[in-house]
Amino acid sequence: MTMLDLQRVTKRYGKDTVLDDISLSVDEGETVAIFGPSGAGKTVLLRLIAGMAEPEEGAILVNGEDLIDVAPENRAVGMAFQNFALFPHMSAFENIASPLEARRSTKDAVADGVHKIAKLLKIDHVLGHAPRELSNGQKQRTALARALVAAPRLLLLDDPLRNVDAKLRFEMRLELPRLLEGFGSTVLYVTQDYREAMALGNRIGVLIDGHFVQIGTPEDIYLTPTTIEVAELFGDPVINLFEGRVEKAGDGTTAAIGDAKLPLPTGYEDQVGQPVIFGIRPENIAKADDGTAGAIAAKVAALLPLNDRLVRLLVSDDGHEFYTSRDLGSEEAVGEGARLSVSAAPQDIILFERDSRRRIAPAR
Amino acid sequence: MHHTTTGEKILRGVLITLALVFFLFPIFWILLMSFQTNAQILRIPPSLFFEPTLINYTSLITGELQTAAGSLKLEFMHNLWNSVILSTGSVLISLLLGVPAAYAFARYKFRFSEDIAFTLLSFKFAPPLLVLLPLTLYFQAIGLANTYIGLIWVYQLITLPLILWIVRGYFEDISPDIEHAYRIAGHSWAKTFMKISIPLARPGIAAAGLLSFIFAWNNFVFALVLASADKQPVTVGALAFVTASGIQYGQIAAAVVISITPTLALALFAQRYLVEGLSLGAVKG
Amino acid sequence: MTAAVSLTDVNKVYAAKAKNPIYAVRDFSIEIKAGEIIALLGSSGCGKTSTLRMIAGFEEVTKGAIRIGEKTIHTLPPARRGVAMAFEGYSLYPPLTLRENIAFALKSEKLGSAETNRRVEEIAKLLELTKHLDRYPSTVSAGQQQRASLGRALVRKADLYLLDEPMGQLEPQLRAILRGRLKRYLREHGLTAILVTHDQTEANALADRIAVMEGGFLQQFASPAELKAAPANLFVGTFIGEPPMNVYEVAPAIANGRVSFRAQGEELFGYEPGALSDTVMAQLAKQKSVVVGVRPADVVMKPLNGGSGATAEVVSNQWIGDQTHLESAFGDGVIVATLESRFPARTGEKLSIEVPPEKLHVFSTEGPALAHGSRLAEQGAT
Repeated sequence: MTMLDLQRVTKRYGKDTVLDDISLSVDEGETVAIFGPSGAGKTVLLRLIAGMAEPEEGAILVNGEDLIDVAPENRAVGMAFQNFALFPHMSAFENIASPLEARRSTKDAVADGVHKIAKLLKIDHVLGHAPRELSNGQKQRTALARALVAAPRLLLLDDPLRNVDAKLRFEMRLELPRLLEGFGSTVLYVTQDYREAMALGNRIGVLIDGHFVQIGTPEDIYLTPTTIEVAELFGDPVINLFEGRVEKAGDGTTAAIGDAKLPLPTGYEDQVGQPVIFGIRPENIAKADDGTAGAIAAKVAALLPLNDRLVRLLVSDDGHEFYTSRDLGSEEAVGEGARLSVSAAPQDIILFERDSRRRIAPAR
Repeated sequence: MHHTTTGEKILRGVLITLALVFFLFPIFWILLMSFQTNAQILRIPPSLFFEPTLINYTSLITGELQTAAGSLKLEFMHNLWNSVILSTGSVLISLLLGVPAAYAFARYKFRFSEDIAFTLLSFKFAPPLLVLLPLTLYFQAIGLANTYIGLIWVYQLITLPLILWIVRGYFEDISPDIEHAYRIAGHSWAKTFMKISIPLARPGIAAAGLLSFIFAWNNFVFALVLASADKQPVTVGALAFVTASGIQYGQIAAAVVISITPTLALALFAQRYLVEGLSLGAVKG
Repeated sequence: MTAAVSLTDVNKVYAAKAKNPIYAVRDFSIEIKAGEIIALLGSSGCGKTSTLRMIAGFEEVTKGAIRIGEKTIHTLPPARRGVAMAFEGYSLYPPLTLRENIAFALKSEKLGSAETNRRVEEIAKLLELTKHLDRYPSTVSAGQQQRASLGRALVRKADLYLLDEPMGQLEPQLRAILRGRLKRYLREHGLTAILVTHDQTEANALADRIAVMEGGFLQQFASPAELKAAPANLFVGTFIGEPPMNVYEVAPAIANGRVSFRAQGEELFGYEPGALSDTVMAQLAKQKSVVVGVRPADVVMKPLNGGSGATAEVVSNQWIGDQTHLESAFGDGVIVATLESRFPARTGEKLSIEVPPEKLHVFSTEGPALAHGSRLAEQGAT
């Protein structure tokens, strides 16, 4: 059942159109990650829903009720801010308690609620501290506790893990889904980290320049990005792009990239002769056996260990740079300066139109 | 990279001492004068050694001034009381009007908001004497001349712009997200203003209140023109010490000491509010 | 052109005469080969920036010596040390365009304008700045300013390049690309470089060797692979690696050549006779309590009936494209595992956890490493 419904919402600041005619519906209990580069309008979107700003056009419906004329305090949403926005003159306890107090709960009920959520978020030992006495991680958990404590129907999380260090961010990323599930809230989660978006979102809305470029499950977005822009935003290192054309080869087609010819899956027959851009993710580039016909010949220009993987910067014989992140062999065997041939499986090659930079889906 | 040598330390000490002497000597001198009779002050050659006397203070407090030409009635204590009423009243009204106005100017960008704010500030640029003559005529016409209310009203020219501009800056420094967070938590606009905005701007409000109190207390020319004897503050009342038989230096010194005491005490008391860094650690930054 | 660098027993003490002097860097010694790229890695306050500033000449060396090639440099003024530095705070000259800013570094080399321009364009191309060269610092993004600052350092000829968080401000997509470019450039020109960063991804990607610092002390100086395979102590073990190493304080119980690592009586990891070398077993026999560490990538998860390890219950399964992150309740804590492909486990599912003996790290409870797999840790390493 649709819980939150954004209908053709437009927001302008002066002459700048920050959100341009965007629509999104979110089901009850669903978590939708709003992902995009900075300045895309993600935070503005949350502000509109929370009531801190008003859209110029469009409607924001929660359970069918239009929120436009409802004051922020009556919208029954919870929000965690990127900069935490804790009340500096109140203790962590008072911070977390404020949504409960606003609901005129009894003193005991407030204390009860605060202690329960604090325990869940492992901050029960610092409830008496002022915000300035809390570590960054504790501040972030306090802000989250404040957003969750009144079990709001709709939870807005504005990049809540942005300002904590990498280890805490990872820990919280694993912990959050369970926590959110326990509350049954519908969640909009704004982030600039594609990993967070994929890990936390049932669906992801990719917001670029005030438009949703793609809304879909993590699988949809990672495997079938609608545009090159989306493909480039997901994945580290970034997806490799090769200019080339689709050529006929026997019954099927191949991707002609320089002198190389990589087989394509069926469905691209009507693209033969078309100049296109081939996208191949670094983890999908594998070492080809020596002498494999059509493989890309390249030289290792730099080894770039990335966490558990060994990323290589390769330069093809015609000077094109690209990355691999799959295990291609040991550092000694395929080190800097080594020559090798690489290829990719047909289903791992994504085709994009050269001019519109949109993905070409295979014909069925 | 930078090491302080002993020479530098001594030099620093000497410079600080010089500055202190420069600023504090006049106050110290006045304090000494207030315990001397006119004769002792005016003797030649001047001397640092004298028999302290409380006569200046007692005559100020009792309101009886003994001069060579006879006894003179003094309104000093009444003047002091007037100063307290005028300054306190002006600052309170300015705070009541100025703090919400400052908040509006800080948070909402409405039409002409910058122009209005600047116009209010520009009242401080106008030479008081220029506006005083027409003001006197108006006040006499509507019966506000020589009333506390009239004076406090005019004093707003001094206190209101100051409070407005200082407090506005403090409100602007509070992250709007903190207020938003409180509202989303379910609190009304008014409650957010009282529980979040005001407490967080308190150091600024204290500073602005104190400064405008001092300016109001020190005002001379408005009161000189608009108030007659029974509404005069100390600044104007001090003129009474210039008597037919000479200037009463001892009493003037004692009057100065008494009249700076309230502001000095207030400044010392408010000091801890002025340096209170409440906002620290609230927002990542 | 480029030279080896050595730091010998370098110390930096702030407020040495005060009641509580601050020891920012202590007895820091490393030898850097000519053409090598090294990283000083640590969290804020670990002493990495003080070290870099001492090399650049912005801080006095309290004690110790710094040499570049044959030349002792720590007593020279900054300009005569032969180092080029890219600043974290990008510090461009506001009245000059990016082109002029980068060219400014070439002034002392007295090149013709054609040669200067060629060098500037070359660097700009490398850093994807060509389009922005004629703009002023205030009109470009923070990332572009930082790239220009990096360009100004790289364009000069110097014996040593100092890079202070050179990519902190860059857009994530570009960061990955520029890492490759930068490393390739440094390599091709055979330049010696010291990179200061708090980001281990960056250090891993760029550096031949990484000096891990904490509390002013050098914890370990080794290649990224060696830091992973044989961390000198528990700090390095848990600091290096994303996601971090799983650690458990356990008691090793040895019976009939079989070792069982137990927490609260429950076996977390067990190894049959012969799995671990005799020397390691002898070392374990001496310990009452140890900390075992397991990297998330080394965790092997099998169906309950197919494995013989301890049981874990899946609490979180997150696919992020090229990896899966799996968190499971294990012992009285959790175990995090990373897998290269999607993993079909659902929340609540029970799995058997095993760690190959050669992937097990054992630390003493005081911190120093005891063994990595069957290899006894080198004693005396700090």
